[in-house]
Amino acid sequence: MRKLLLYLLPALVIAASFVVAGCGKGGGDSKSIKIGLAGVLTGGDGQIGASMLNGSQIAIDEWNAKGGVLGKPIEPVVINDEGDPQKAVTAAQTLIDDGVVAVIGHFNSGCTIPASNLYNDAKIVEISPGSTNPTYTDRGLPYAFRICGRDDQQGAVIAKFLRGQQKIAKIAILNDKTTYGAGLAKVVADNFTAQGGQVVASQGVDANDLDFRADISVAQGAGAQALVWGGMYKGGGPLCVQMREAGLNVPFVSDDGCQDQKFVDTVGNNAKDVYVSFGKDYTSTPAAQAFIQAYKAKYKSDVGSYSIYGYDAAQVLLTAIQKAGTTDAEKVAAVLKGQPFDTIQGQIEFDSKGDLKVADYVIWTVKDGKLQELAPAP
Amino acid sequence: MSSTLTDILVGGISRGAMYALVALGYTMVYGVLGMINFAHGEIFMIGMFSCVFAMGVFSLAWGNLIVLNLTLGIVVAMIISAGYGYANERIAYRRLRKAHVLAPLTSAIGISTFLQYFIFLTVSRDAVNFPRFYSDYLTNHHLKLGPVDFSYLQIMILGLTFVIMCALFYLINHTRLGIALRATAQDQLMASLVGVPVNKIIAFTFILGSALAAIAGVMYSMYNDTLIFNSGYRIGLKAFTAAILGGIGNVPGAVLGALIIGLTEALTTYGFGSEWDDVSTFAMLMLVLLLRPRGLLGERVANKV
Repeated sequence: MRKLLLYLLPALVIAASFVVAGCGKGGGDSKSIKIGLAGVLTGGDGQIGASMLNGSQIAIDEWNAKGGVLGKPIEPVVINDEGDPQKAVTAAQTLIDDGVVAVIGHFNSGCTIPASNLYNDAKIVEISPGSTNPTYTDRGLPYAFRICGRDDQQGAVIAKFLRGQQKIAKIAILNDKTTYGAGLAKVVADNFTAQGGQVVASQGVDANDLDFRADISVAQGAGAQALVWGGMYKGGGPLCVQMREAGLNVPFVSDDGCQDQKFVDTVGNNAKDVYVSFGKDYTSTPAAQAFIQAYKAKYKSDVGSYSIYGYDAAQVLLTAIQKAGTTDAEKVAAVLKGQPFDTIQGQIEFDSKGDLKVADYVIWTVKDGKLQELAPAP
Repeated sequence: MSSTLTDILVGGISRGAMYALVALGYTMVYGVLGMINFAHGEIFMIGMFSCVFAMGVFSLAWGNLIVLNLTLGIVVAMIISAGYGYANERIAYRRLRKAHVLAPLTSAIGISTFLQYFIFLTVSRDAVNFPRFYSDYLTNHHLKLGPVDFSYLQIMILGLTFVIMCALFYLINHTRLGIALRATAQDQLMASLVGVPVNKIIAFTFILGSALAAIAGVMYSMYNDTLIFNSGYRIGLKAFTAAILGGIGNVPGAVLGALIIGLTEALTTYGFGSEWDDVSTFAMLMLVLLLRPRGLLGERVANKV
């Protein structure tokens, strides 16, 4: 009996999984329109990635309440790429096999870039709400879009802030060795030196080590007047704390990867002279209020930094599908590139590469335990 | 202001001391059983989560008494980690003790993945901050000896490592329990014939190693401000390397190897930049193993010490 069970059980499990998979595939094809929501939901970047896709989910809920798109209900297919480029490719393939017509995601540039190749080969429109690395759209992929700025724009804003506004001559740059972090670090370095500044130390560190003391000592010894972190908050938070512990009390400047409440929580009362570049603060605009309320009602938490971008991406995508009258990627992409869209960010337009025509990077700072837009220099 | 080089050395030694606490667990289990417990890094990770959880419970129960809550937190972490370590041995390794050498090794890798994702799914998918309320005093106060500048936390880490190493050395070489340990390491069958309770001794080894890993976990999460489900992986790898470098199975060897690795990483960052630290660490490991295949101080507790 026991032996029989031993053979029977796996057989049953396998059979059941086929049945379930079969239902998933067969059931939705004609009755609903599937949209992939891909991004990092777990691990060090899990919070920021999940809140981004939650934003998209709210937009999809709104459309479904109005009767869906093209007369069919929208079925979101959420997938977690764990922030890992290899898993992102698998995730992309899973979505394609599942029959999604468009994808919102991914979050990490290192994931979005390899996944976008698959989506484009499969003729699926992809809008990333959060991947800022230039390579994503620079390869001439016809169906790749992003609804946020690019790191060459972001890095220029950081460099200008340090050199022009803070009058700093020497900076140290650390990055987390990801596509995104290393890319941004390079842009900041190039821009800063072009403006007559000097980069005294520039290193990639393994963000999983979480012990940055040696690099901090090197930066300190080299006379850095500011420390720039190219990377996510899981490394940025501890780095900022350790640098204050070591007595390096110069400005800490990071990028949109540190634009998260989790970063502020880690930094705690060391949050003096901490700056983060990001898009403008839309949470106080009238256009955002309905969304923020819906988000709080559904997820019982505050919106994340990328929630609005996730929401906008879904809104723009669904509007474009509705206007194109089809889910055909070519026509949807033509609509996306052909006209302006009203979003929480204001009116936006895509250029021929799929980037926003106008990026809106500004510098934020930590004040009263929250990230806030820095008042412009007088 | 202290100079860059002394700061680097202090940071390197502190990091090495944390590697050492983890490496001791690897080395003890290897010394007694001749197997490498790849799940040890996860025990370390469970230790740090247990401590933070326990401190939260205590502060709810009777308020924010820093010293008491932190001490009890460490004790709870040691107990929980020891429990996990014992359970690992009982469930995953004991029955495989006489199997092919690869069997317990594979089992250990499985346990390691299992524990990582168990914590990931049940406790936290995201990084958790160590409550700074407890660590601020230790990290913000410094002891300055001329150009050398230690934070209280660094002194605590170094002190704990040194005391634990000496205690272990004493335990192994000068107590009846130590004799039983060494006997088990030399020949399990022979030891059991002369009345050594081999199973209990092996379980004790796991419990002790796991409790030490918990201490390391608490120190590490205090030192680096963050806890995350996969933080045991990298430090486990480094500590394992340290144990091999010093001669696996050898208690002072593990500490020596760990300090060397910590310092190498720090000095590489100073000289070449932190991108090179893994390169130099593992290059040094290869070099040492080529020249001294049994590690710096030689293998196995029993045969050598």
